[in-house]
Amino acid sequence: MTDYSYFPGCSLASSAMEYDASFRLVSEVFGIGLDELEDWTCCGASPAPHHWGGELGILLPARNLHIAGRSHPAVVAPCAGCYNRLKYAQYELRRNQQLRERVAQVLREPVRYETEVVNLIEMFNREIDPAALAARAQGRLEEISLATYYGCVLTRPAEIVNFDDPNDPVMMEPLLRAAGATITHFPFKSECCGSYMGLAKKEIVFRASRQIIETALESGADAIVTVCPLCHQNLDLRQRQINFAWDTDFELPVLYFSQVIGLALGASPEELGIDSHAVSADKLLVKIKKTANR
Amino acid sequence: MRIGVFVCQCGTNIAATVATRRVVEAALSMRDVFHGESIQYTCSDPGQRAIIDAIQQKNLTRVVLAACSPRMHETTFRRAIAQAGMNPFMLEMVNIREQCSWIHSDIDTATEKAIDLVRKGVARVRRQTPLHAGSVPVTRRALVIGGGVAGIQAALDIADAGVPVTLVEKSPTLGGNMARLDKTFPTLDCSSCILTPRMVEVKQHENIDLMVSSEIENVRGYIGNFEVDIRRKATCVIEEKCTGCMICEQKCPSRAPDDFNAGVGESKAISVAFPQAVPLVAALRKEYCRLFLKGRCSVCKKVCPAGAIDYEQEDRFVTERFGAIVAATGFEQFDWKKAYPSFGGGLYPDVITSLEYERMLSASGPTGGHIRRPSDGAEPKHIVFISCVGSRDESVGRPACCGVGCMYQAKQAILTKEHIPDSQSYVFYLDVRAGGKGYEEFVRRATREFGTIYVRGRVGKVYPRNGKLICMGTDTLAGHQVEVEADLVVLAAGLNAAGAAAGLARKLNISYDMYGFFSEGHPKLKPVETNTGGVFLAGACQGPKDIPASVAQAGAAAAKVVSLLSRAELETSPMVAEVNQMKCTGCFKCREVCPYGAIEEQELRGGRRVAHVIGSLCQGCGLCNVACPPAVIPLKGYTDNQLIAEVVEVLREPEPASSAGASAKAVEVAE
Amino acid sequence: MSGVKIIGLLCNWCSYAGADMAGTARMKQPAALRVVRLPCTGRVNPLLVLKAFQEGADGVLVSGCHPGDCHYNEGNYYARRRLELLAAMLPALGIEPERFRYTWVSASEGARWTEVVEEFTGRVEALGPRDGGAA
Ligand SMILES: Cc1cc2nc3c(=O)[nH]c(=O)nc-3n(C[C@H](O)[C@H](O)[C@H](O)COP(=O)(O)OP(=O)(O)OC[C@H]3O[C@@H](n4cnc5c(N)ncnc54)[C@H](O)[C@@H]3O)c2cc1C
Repeated sequence: MTDYSYFPGCSLASSAMEYDASFRLVSEVFGIGLDELEDWTCCGASPAPHHWGGELGILLPARNLHIAGRSHPAVVAPCAGCYNRLKYAQYELRRNQQLRERVAQVLREPVRYETEVVNLIEMFNREIDPAALAARAQGRLEEISLATYYGCVLTRPAEIVNFDDPNDPVMMEPLLRAAGATITHFPFKSECCGSYMGLAKKEIVFRASRQIIETALESGADAIVTVCPLCHQNLDLRQRQINFAWDTDFELPVLYFSQVIGLALGASPEELGIDSHAVSADKLLVKIKKTANR
Repeated sequence: MRIGVFVCQCGTNIAATVATRRVVEAALSMRDVFHGESIQYTCSDPGQRAIIDAIQQKNLTRVVLAACSPRMHETTFRRAIAQAGMNPFMLEMVNIREQCSWIHSDIDTATEKAIDLVRKGVARVRRQTPLHAGSVPVTRRALVIGGGVAGIQAALDIADAGVPVTLVEKSPTLGGNMARLDKTFPTLDCSSCILTPRMVEVKQHENIDLMVSSEIENVRGYIGNFEVDIRRKATCVIEEKCTGCMICEQKCPSRAPDDFNAGVGESKAISVAFPQAVPLVAALRKEYCRLFLKGRCSVCKKVCPAGAIDYEQEDRFVTERFGAIVAATGFEQFDWKKAYPSFGGGLYPDVITSLEYERMLSASGPTGGHIRRPSDGAEPKHIVFISCVGSRDESVGRPACCGVGCMYQAKQAILTKEHIPDSQSYVFYLDVRAGGKGYEEFVRRATREFGTIYVRGRVGKVYPRNGKLICMGTDTLAGHQVEVEADLVVLAAGLNAAGAAAGLARKLNISYDMYGFFSEGHPKLKPVETNTGGVFLAGACQGPKDIPASVAQAGAAAAKVVSLLSRAELETSPMVAEVNQMKCTGCFKCREVCPYGAIEEQELRGGRRVAHVIGSLCQGCGLCNVACPPAVIPLKGYTDNQLIAEVVEVLREPEPASSAGASAKAVEVAE
Repeated sequence: MSGVKIIGLLCNWCSYAGADMAGTARMKQPAALRVVRLPCTGRVNPLLVLKAFQEGADGVLVSGCHPGDCHYNEGNYYARRRLELLAAMLPALGIEPERFRYTWVSASEGARWTEVVEEFTGRVEALGPRDGGAA
């Protein structure tokens, strides 16, 4: 198995530690080596590209990319936002000589920017053989229906990230199906959740995320699967606020892709940090247990 | 060789700036010039007379005419010298008006330039050889491919002019897409009421040979002389015997999709396309027939009172000769399902196309003119029309406008209100394009009289919620998002050329664009011609068009065909390329660059393969001439020798007029 | 006269007609240009341009229909490719590239044609007559 440089980003090191834990767990099971970047910094996230003339929006991810260039041929960024920033920086560096010079000036050495940037779905698809997963999963997820939610920045802008069909992404499906899960027809899989508007204008998140949860429920899903910590925050952490704002009574767990794969492998909800979520996944876990005891 | 140089004064138009007399004098010192003359108006009757007289009296063999632009009067003077018994191509016009006297003010400068130009003209005409317009015999019969409204119109117009026509239609009936429409914008007249009589007329016309269930297999030949193989597909029904009683259809046990009804409703393996079909005959589709699939059945044969069923029938081929061809193969709607997963990609039965909706509106359609949701048969109250699905949408790689969507959406919204008075229609649009006569007013009626709500913006997503379809979009005028709960969603899917258009284009040797639409000969000046002489276009096969435009183009194509076939022989321009086959190496670079497919392979005795220019197809552009590595395809009238001589002579410092030469020749200056 | 000689190779359908149009509108122009009419710029053999220089032309101007407007649909595209290559070769032959220009002028662009002639003549005059020649 290949080893990857690993760029956790701020979320996986703080608010989404369960994402980090489940990601490491699954990687270990399948023998994928993860080398955390030394001295990594924030990827720039949403604010950097929009402030200080936007330069930091490139400099920050460029620096991380540069560090990644020291070790393995590919760097994995599980957070959709980090993935997007790294891809963006790489895209700009490839086509802009002046920018390369500017970054080199800041780094005090020529910038390395050709390390391949992959997201978690990409890496799992590459490294995990669906048949091997199916063998280990023993049909644990057979009773489970999942709405796969990709959000917006993982696939867009398409010409920069170049990952899956932005309007109809499907890359989570092969492994989830191998684990036995049913994928629902979920028209909102690449719709925006409201993103960082959760800070400035909550109503936007309430509206956008409500539609996502509502449609996922209508599709018959037991849970939403995501790879983005910010989406997770809006859909899980704010689900109560959404219920309060709209007088609804949604109770739809939102799990990270790696957590679902972890469950399929038989890992405990605690190991995977599922107990740290705001919306209880108990019903889903009971279903899985029942199937396992069959 | 005896050259005459005539210098026109054009009143003062030339003479005021160019000293024509000096030009004549200079000309007389040039090699082989035996006559020089300045004339007040060469194009006038006396002027032409003077030229003819000089030619005859002085036995001139070539003429240089320094006057206005050849684009103005070249034909006039060719005719004049032909009258004098000369080959009309032994003339060179030198432009000393538009490109000399009119753009300069200094007499010396202008005169000096005029002399240079005359020297250039003399050099060129010295290398001119007599050219003879060729001629090819013409087969006085036209082929029309496609029996939609455009093909019908073209066939009738040509046939009415007394020219025999063969109309080849691939489906079992005439009518095309127009036969599927309910009513038509902008007048809301019933489509079949205006179309069916014309279909019958085609069937009955003594000059029209109608071949339905037929396709073009192969095309050989060229303008005036096409030879076409037509495949007459086996329908297991003997056309001459079938009475169209439809008993076979009623009794047939094999269900099949309903092509005519755009897939709305169902049909049988043997069926008549629709009750007004012309010809009114049944056709059997083997791919759905129990007999052909399972080996057992023959119900239709048993019940047919006319004995018209023949299971043994096989495809037949007929070969016919035609002088001209009109392609009128129309359009089909773009398959939106793959490109728009955001509208469910075909998963939601209540998201339908505009053509399917058209069949629902039609009283003779599968729902008997009642608008019904496909999912549960309920009458929809809220109908959303989404425009530009697969047109004007670069995100799916289809930037072109569909040309008719805005108009038929307004029509469908109006008809919806007429069918269901308590319904509400919404149209999501990008811009309303209503450029035709009476069109804008029609769209206004849809909003003002029929209360259609127009929302400017795209719909981003359609998804089901509580049995309804939610259409999420933006209102770009109000600047906010909108959501409409719909019972039925109708998509104005963009247009493509009919399925097999590209294949047909290759057979006809014409070009087509990314949507399969055939390319016209010139975007402005040859809208119904193609790059291949004798092949014309009519209707939506050339690009999206509504019925009036299709009919107009069909009429224009018919006029071109009739004028072409009104001649027994076609005169071909002699200024075409010609291969020196002795020196041709057979590399066929010329064939690659020729825009007209005018170059063919010929085998010489001894088996050597060389290029040959089909004179009647060559348009004389000269591309092959330059592309030819050994330079052995001269373009007649523009040979390398001529062009080089022009360049060399015009750059040569003029020698002082040799008085010896001049005195030997007579100088006449008409004052 | 300025003393320079310029050869113009014009397609019959667009640029020659555009030059006629300039004349019809009596737009005055420098007189160094001598126009040769061709069916299409696709008929312009690059060797003809070189021949003109060899015979002492101080400048050569080729003009045809705008891309997309060619009377023969694609002749000017061929011309563009051929002449682009030719332009790149001129310095190697000792001819200043400024002495050669190809452009597109439509039948309705009399004013533009006049500008092209003025500009090009000015450019060639500034370089002066060619001494020697490439041959
Ligand atoms: C939903 C909708 C509504 C419309 N409403 C209106 C309206 O209200 N008013 C209006 O003016 N216009 C309307 N139009 C446009 C109108 O349909 C077209 O202008 C018209 O049908 C074009 O006629 P046509 O003969 O060129 O092509 P078609 O109608 O497409 O006919 C082409 C014919 O050629 C045949 N064919 C195809 N390929 C071959 C082949 N290879 N060999 C032999 N035969 C072949 C086909 O079977 C068909 O019979 C509408 C279009 C749509 C999609």
